[in-house]
Amino acid sequence: MGHHSNWPEWLYIGVIVALMVWVGAEAWNVERLIEHVPADAVVIKVTGQQWFWTFEYEDGTKEVGTLHVEAGKAYKFEVMSTDVIHSFNIHDYVVLMDAVPGRVNTVWFAPDKAGEHDIQCREYCGLIHYNMRGKLIVSEPST
Amino acid sequence: MGNLLGLFLVLAIIVIIPTIDHVFAQADEPGEYIDRRVLIWNLFFKMMTVAFTVGAVVSGTMIWICWRFRESHPKATPTAYEASNTWGGPA
Amino acid sequence: MVLELQKPRPIWQIMFSTHHTDIGLLYLILSISFLFMGGALALIIRAELFFPGSQIIDSMTFNRIFTVHGTTLIFLFILPSASAVGNYFVPIMVRYKDMAYPKLNAIAFWMIPPGAALVWLGFADFTWYATPPYSIISSPGPAADMWIFGLKILGISSVLGAINFIVTIMKCKHPDMSMGQLPLLAWAFLTSSMIIVVAIPTFAAALLMLLTDRLGVSGFFNPAMGGDPIAYAHLFWFTFHPEVYVLVIPAIGMMYEIIPRFSRKPIYSKSSGIFAFVMLSLVSFSSWAHHMYATGMSFTEKTVFMIGTLAAVPASGMHVFNFIATMWNGRIKFATPMMWSIGGIALFFSAGAGGVANAAMPLDFTTHDTYWVVGHFHLFVMGTIAFGTIGFIYYMFPYVTGRMYNETMGKVHFIMSFVGAILVFFTQHMLGLYGMPRRIFDYPPIPEWIVGNQIASVGAMIIGVSMALFLYNLIYSSAKGKPADIHDPFGLGGKYYYPFEAKNPHHN
Repeated sequence: MGHHSNWPEWLYIGVIVALMVWVGAEAWNVERLIEHVPADAVVIKVTGQQWFWTFEYEDGTKEVGTLHVEAGKAYKFEVMSTDVIHSFNIHDYVVLMDAVPGRVNTVWFAPDKAGEHDIQCREYCGLIHYNMRGKLIVSEPST
Repeated sequence: MGNLLGLFLVLAIIVIIPTIDHVFAQADEPGEYIDRRVLIWNLFFKMMTVAFTVGAVVSGTMIWICWRFRESHPKATPTAYEASNTWGGPA
Repeated sequence: MVLELQKPRPIWQIMFSTHHTDIGLLYLILSISFLFMGGALALIIRAELFFPGSQIIDSMTFNRIFTVHGTTLIFLFILPSASAVGNYFVPIMVRYKDMAYPKLNAIAFWMIPPGAALVWLGFADFTWYATPPYSIISSPGPAADMWIFGLKILGISSVLGAINFIVTIMKCKHPDMSMGQLPLLAWAFLTSSMIIVVAIPTFAAALLMLLTDRLGVSGFFNPAMGGDPIAYAHLFWFTFHPEVYVLVIPAIGMMYEIIPRFSRKPIYSKSSGIFAFVMLSLVSFSSWAHHMYATGMSFTEKTVFMIGTLAAVPASGMHVFNFIATMWNGRIKFATPMMWSIGGIALFFSAGAGGVANAAMPLDFTTHDTYWVVGHFHLFVMGTIAFGTIGFIYYMFPYVTGRMYNETMGKVHFIMSFVGAILVFFTQHMLGLYGMPRRIFDYPPIPEWIVGNQIASVGAMIIGVSMALFLYNLIYSSAKGKPADIHDPFGLGGKYYYPFEAKNPHHN
C-alpha cells in the first residue's frame, strides 16, 4: 500500500491535529471566562413571544421592546419564551441565548459605556421574525 | 527562510501574549467585569490569522501546482505511468 | 450510452426499466431539474434581499420560498445526483451486471416524485429544520403535514437506495476483487450508505413525533404536556449532521475519479483515502449538538461536541492532501471536469476553515443563525458538492450520450460560477459578522448590510446566467454534440478508463 515515503502526509496530519488542539484549548478557555456570572449581577427577565420582547426588572417593572441598563454594572438575563423558540441577541455586545418554552436560559454581560444598540431575534419564529427587534439603551452610571 | 521566521514570530506572539495576560487576569469586581465582546472578538481574529495563513499556503500550493504541472508547460514530461501504460482500470 | 436523442428509445422503456444505467439516467434528469427549480427559488430570494423593504414578495411567501429552496436542493438535487452517479457507476466498478436489487432500485427512484410533489404542492414555511414548537403550533397546514409526509417518503427512498449500494458493493463484487481494490468512488458510496442506514431512522422517528404532536395526540415537544422542544433538535441534528457527510462524501469520491485521471497519475495514497472516508463516517456521529450551542447547553456538553466537531477536520484534510499530492508531478489536462474538481477543493478548504470558527464555542455567539452560517454551509453544498457533481456530470456526459458537450461553454460555466460563488458566499460571511440574521425577509437600512446583500445578489445572478449556459450545453450537445471516442473521450492518451462498460439490455 505505501510504496513511497509517507512522511509529508504524517507531518501534515500532525500540524492539523496540533492546530485543532490549539483551537479547542483557546475556545474552552474563553468560554470558561465568559460563562462565569458575577455574583452581584442584576437579574433581568427577558420574555420572547411572537413577535416582541418584554423585559422585567428586579423591582417588578416591565418594558416592552426597550431595555434600559446602566454602564459599569453586570446584568444577568433569564431568557424565556411563551410560545415558540426565539433567540435573544444584542449583537454589539455578543449576547446570544435561545428563548425556549419550558426552560429558562441564562446569559450575562456588563456594558461599559453609554449608547444605543439593536436587539434582534435570531431564531426563525414566523411571519414577523424579521422585525422582532428592540432597543438597548445604556445610560451613564448613576453613582 | 526569513519569511518563515517572521511568520513563526507572529504566531508565537499571538499565543504567548494572551497566555501571559491570562495568568495575571483579575477576578470580577464591581465596575471591572470582563468584557465578553473583547474576549470573543480577540479569539475570532486569532483564528482568522491562522486560517488565512494556512489558506494562503494551501491555495498558493494549488495555484503553483496547476501552473507548473499543466500539460502545456515547457518542462512538462509524461508521467512514469503514461510511459509504461501500466495504469488504468479499477485497481 | 443510454440517451441517444437522434434515435430515441420509447420513453416508457426508460421509465419502466430496472437496469442501473436507466435508473441512473432517471435520477440524473430528476436531480438536474430540481437543481434549476431550487436555484430559481434562490434567485427570487436574492432579488428580494437586494434592497431593504419589500420588493417582489411578502414575508410569508419569502419564508415558504427559503424552506422549499433548502429542502429541494438537499433532498431533490444533491441526494438524487449522488444516486445517479452511484447507480450508473457502482456496478461497473464492482464488475457486476446490475445493482443487487434492480426492482427495489426502481421503486426507490419512483418514490421521489410523489415525495417531491408533496413538498412543492404544500410549500411549507417552517425552514428545512421544521423545528417545534413553531412547526407544531404556528405553521399553517396542510403545507406542514404535506412536507412531513413528503420527507417520510424521501427518507425511505434514501434508505432503500443505501441498502442496495451496501449489498452490491460488499456482496456482489467480482470474486477476484478485494475490498482494497475497489475504487475510492465505490468506497464513498459504501461509507455514505452506511451513515444513511444508521442516521435516517432517527429522523423518521422525529417526523412521526412531529406529526402526532401536530394532531394533538402527543406532547413530545410540548412543555405543557411534559415534553421538550430541544428533544427534536437532538433527534434532527443526530440525523442531519451525519447527513451532511452523506452529501459531501460522494462528491469527494467523484473528485477521486477525476483528479487522478486528468493528472495522468494514480491517486497518491488510496489507503489514506479509504481510511479518511471510514473515519469521517464514524466521527460524523460525534458532533451533532454543535448546531445547538445557543439552546442553553451546559459547558461540559458544549466542550464534548466541540471536540467531536474538530475531530473530523484531520479526515477531511487527508482528502485535500491526497488531491494535491496526486496533482504534484502529474501532467494535468484542464478540461472542464478537472476545473470543477479543483475549484471544488479550493472552496472545500474555505468552507472547512470557516466551520472551525463556528465550532469554537464562544465564536458561535457571533455567528450562530447569521449569514456567516449561510455562507459557510453554501460553500460546502454549492462550492464543494455542486461543483464536484457538475464536474462529474460533464465527465459522464460522453458515457451517457455518446457525444461531447461544448468544452468552451463548459469552461465559461465554471469561471462564472466560481466567481459568482465567491461573491455570494464569502460576502455572506461578512454579513454574518455584521450581525445580519438568517431567514429574514427584510432588514433595517444598515449600510454594511445593504452593500453586502447587493454584492451577494449580483454574484447569484452571475451563477444563474452560467447555469442557463449549462442547461443549453446539456440539451444541445445531447442531441447535436460531436460523437465522442468512447475509449478516451477526453484525449488523455492512455488506458485510464474502466475496461468494461455497462451493457443496457434495451440498447445496443
